[in-house]
Amino acid sequence: MSTAAVAVPTNSVGISNLPNQRYKIVNEKGDHFTIMVCGESGLGKTTFINTLFQTTLKHQEPRRNNGPIKKTIDIDITRAVLEEKNFKLRVNVIDTPGFGDNVNNNKSWQRIIDFIDDQHDSYMRQEQQPFRKIKFDLRVHAVLYFIKPTGHGLKPLDIETMKKISTRANLIPVIAKTDTLTQQELSTFKLRIRQVIETQEIRIFTPPIDESILSNGSATEDNSAAIEHARQLIESMPFAIVGSEERFTNDKGVQVIARKYPWGLVEIENDSHCDFRKLRSLLLRTNLLDLILSTEEVHYEAYRALRLGNSNEENKDSSIPINTPARKLLSSNPHFKEEENALKKYFTEQVKAEEQRFRQWEQNIVNERVRLNNDLEDIQSKVKKLEEQVKNLQLKKR
Amino acid sequence: MTVATSQIPIKQEDMDGSLGINSVTQDQSNDLGNSNASSKSMLENNEQISLNEFERQKSNRNSAIDSNQVLSQVLPEQPDLRIIRRKITNYVGFANLPKQWHRKSIKKGFNLNILCVSQTGLGKSTLINTLFNKNIYNEENGSNIVNSTTDNLDKIKLEDDNNTISNEESAENTNTDNVSSNNGNNKHNSSNGNSESNQPNVRIESVSTIIEENGVNLRLTVVDTPGFGDSIDNTNSWEPIIKEVDSRFDQYLDAENRINRSVIEDNRIHACLYFIEPTAHFLKPLDLEFCKQIHEKCNLIPIIAKSDILTEEEIDSFKRKITKQLQEAGVKLFKPPHYELDDKETIKLTDELYNKLPFAVVGSTDLVVNGEGKQVRGRSYPWGIVEVDNANHNDFVYLRDYLVRQYLEELRERTNNELYENYRSEKLTKLGINQDNLVFKEFDPETRQKEDKQLHEAKLAKLEAEMKSVFQTKVSEKEKKLQKSEAELFARHKEMKEKLTKQLKALEEKKHQLEMSIANQMTSSPAQKKKGFLR
Repeated sequence: MSTAAVAVPTNSVGISNLPNQRYKIVNEKGDHFTIMVCGESGLGKTTFINTLFQTTLKHQEPRRNNGPIKKTIDIDITRAVLEEKNFKLRVNVIDTPGFGDNVNNNKSWQRIIDFIDDQHDSYMRQEQQPFRKIKFDLRVHAVLYFIKPTGHGLKPLDIETMKKISTRANLIPVIAKTDTLTQQELSTFKLRIRQVIETQEIRIFTPPIDESILSNGSATEDNSAAIEHARQLIESMPFAIVGSEERFTNDKGVQVIARKYPWGLVEIENDSHCDFRKLRSLLLRTNLLDLILSTEEVHYEAYRALRLGNSNEENKDSSIPINTPARKLLSSNPHFKEEENALKKYFTEQVKAEEQRFRQWEQNIVNERVRLNNDLEDIQSKVKKLEEQVKNLQLKKR
Repeated sequence: MTVATSQIPIKQEDMDGSLGINSVTQDQSNDLGNSNASSKSMLENNEQISLNEFERQKSNRNSAIDSNQVLSQVLPEQPDLRIIRRKITNYVGFANLPKQWHRKSIKKGFNLNILCVSQTGLGKSTLINTLFNKNIYNEENGSNIVNSTTDNLDKIKLEDDNNTISNEESAENTNTDNVSSNNGNNKHNSSNGNSESNQPNVRIESVSTIIEENGVNLRLTVVDTPGFGDSIDNTNSWEPIIKEVDSRFDQYLDAENRINRSVIEDNRIHACLYFIEPTAHFLKPLDLEFCKQIHEKCNLIPIIAKSDILTEEEIDSFKRKITKQLQEAGVKLFKPPHYELDDKETIKLTDELYNKLPFAVVGSTDLVVNGEGKQVRGRSYPWGIVEVDNANHNDFVYLRDYLVRQYLEELRERTNNELYENYRSEKLTKLGINQDNLVFKEFDPETRQKEDKQLHEAKLAKLEAEMKSVFQTKVSEKEKKLQKSEAELFARHKEMKEKLTKQLKALEEKKHQLEMSIANQMTSSPAQKKKGFLR
């Protein structure tokens, strides 16, 4: 009887349509995605972003490329609403021009870390407000760290910065401008980087693989394909990329995005030339949602727990939002620190000068005391002499 | 008389030459920003009050919050930012995000919590069973033990229920809620309390189950309110129900504010099925009052129960009356949205669905053979067969579209984004939590840099002033101390010198006298001297 009921489609409850409802809602609402690019200048960050989104979002700043390198690390945000197949995505590209370009790059990651933390903090404080239907969210969903194609290994600055980033955002290391490395060099370089990442315990973002699907045998064709794809992505890390915004015709007569050399054409979207397509898949086509959700559920939650845990130990189970004080703004502008130090130095010098004056003064007092004591002793000795004389006289008198 | 006392002592601490102000150079000014911000927000609020007033008039919410308070989110002035807008024709891939959600949502599963409010005998259990094609409620009379489609892999779970909250009077009844699933009888006999009492005899019971369809799981919780409307005096009989809905919001609010929120269960009520007796007259005062009480707390879905006793014309006019009554009472129902990509036909169907409200339904899990020889769910009368799933016979299919097939996720969205948010805003405002609208600001590095600079300059100025003042006081203290010891030194010296000089004078006097007397002796008489010897 019941099986007959199933056969009639009108009897089905319609639960299998729920994922389609979700699809419709997301498609209607659109979403936002914040990506940060990080690395020394000249590694093709701007070009990569333009290639990734197939449109010129960022312009190469001639001033930046020709002029002297700016001393302070800045944050540069490019905002865009992009529409692909009727789906709207608000894209924020965060650039950190000047990172690693100084002689002393100690602490140059601070600006980057601060930015990520600031965004978490800002979102947290918005979320605590009684009225919060509109929120501004610049939490960083992915950080692309551009590694210089040296063929040797990671520099200490790379390691330190990646370590710091990986504890608060999804870190994706990429090898930039890989058309300068031969296949052999590249594979050794990749291996070295992977080893360093492992030994330094840097947590990089990897596409999640749902093992449960494999183990409980419920793997569908679709699922297994997804898992296989995720595996391939993981194996290719760190992705080796080449960026270009120009189009050329390759020997098969197809228009491709590429870089043209006398010895051949480096095709960006060719898996045997570079890993661009894999990276694009990880960032957008297959794992965009994973990046967004892990930022919200893992990194943001960790930040929030840390902040609330610190500021309100005793109030853990409060049903009202814990209003945290504004994040202490540690100014990371080195110039500010310099000014502060100069001011302190000035005062220290003043203090020293005054101390010198006081020491002199004290010395004078001591000298004066000695002089006066001598003076007193003079009189005293006169007194003694007199006493002696008087005594003698008295004796004489008798 | 000792010479030693004439030394003037100088304390060691005065002598080390230090001013003791090295500590000034440490950071002393860390929270400078706050005071500025608060004074600014005061200004902001004053400017915005008229706007708020305007906002409030626009919204129909009749909340009882103090009118002096800022009643909504007012965005501060935003930095002027350039946003690039572009349509992309080449392949990029982010358009796949809805698909990623599709996949993820299957993995996560879905959930729906519905509240059923009905007088006894309006066919509530049957309708729920019909809707979900599963005997979530086992009928008392046992006439239709129709097993649902998923019985082979039956996941039915009647949960040991923490959610069950009943009012005090029937507290002892709650135990029976835990009666196990299949043969258990979930229905309670009417309350054992005193029916003449003013306390409404409404209990809250909930049943949870998981329903699977083509690999998609729905965790369904049905919250029942037996006893509603069954007493002679039904005054305030909605109170336990409203309390239940509120407490589920509170529970969620609480979970949301915890430090660890890795597991937040959504037990909020997403929809309320309200069963209207098919009288063909009007909504009764109790019906209307309940609808007014509940519609801002969950998606209200009014349904005309057992509509097979009303003719088509009767239903039409009854519906019109109900709609009018609800409108006049300001009761708002969930309106299915139009999507950007909807074609005209879809938009028309969507509007039609909304216009079918309140749904006049017939429920039945009985299978009967209709005129065309097909097996259908329906009710067989001597004059014909009422088919449940036939849109010409009743609105059951529309109800199912509205509640599950088409808009379940939208109902949940509205619960989360509108109803819960409003509840939360009101609750937090009542708790005295102030809105700080300044945190709602688009991040702009330039503004930030300016703020940074201002902050830095203020900090520097404060630091300088502090160091200066500490420096000056320390210097003047030290100067005074030294001047004092100098003065002391001189005073002491003067005093001692005087004393010694006096002594000296006295001695000189004495010496002089002695000398004089000796000289006298010598000159005057040696006899005298002799005399002395003799003595």
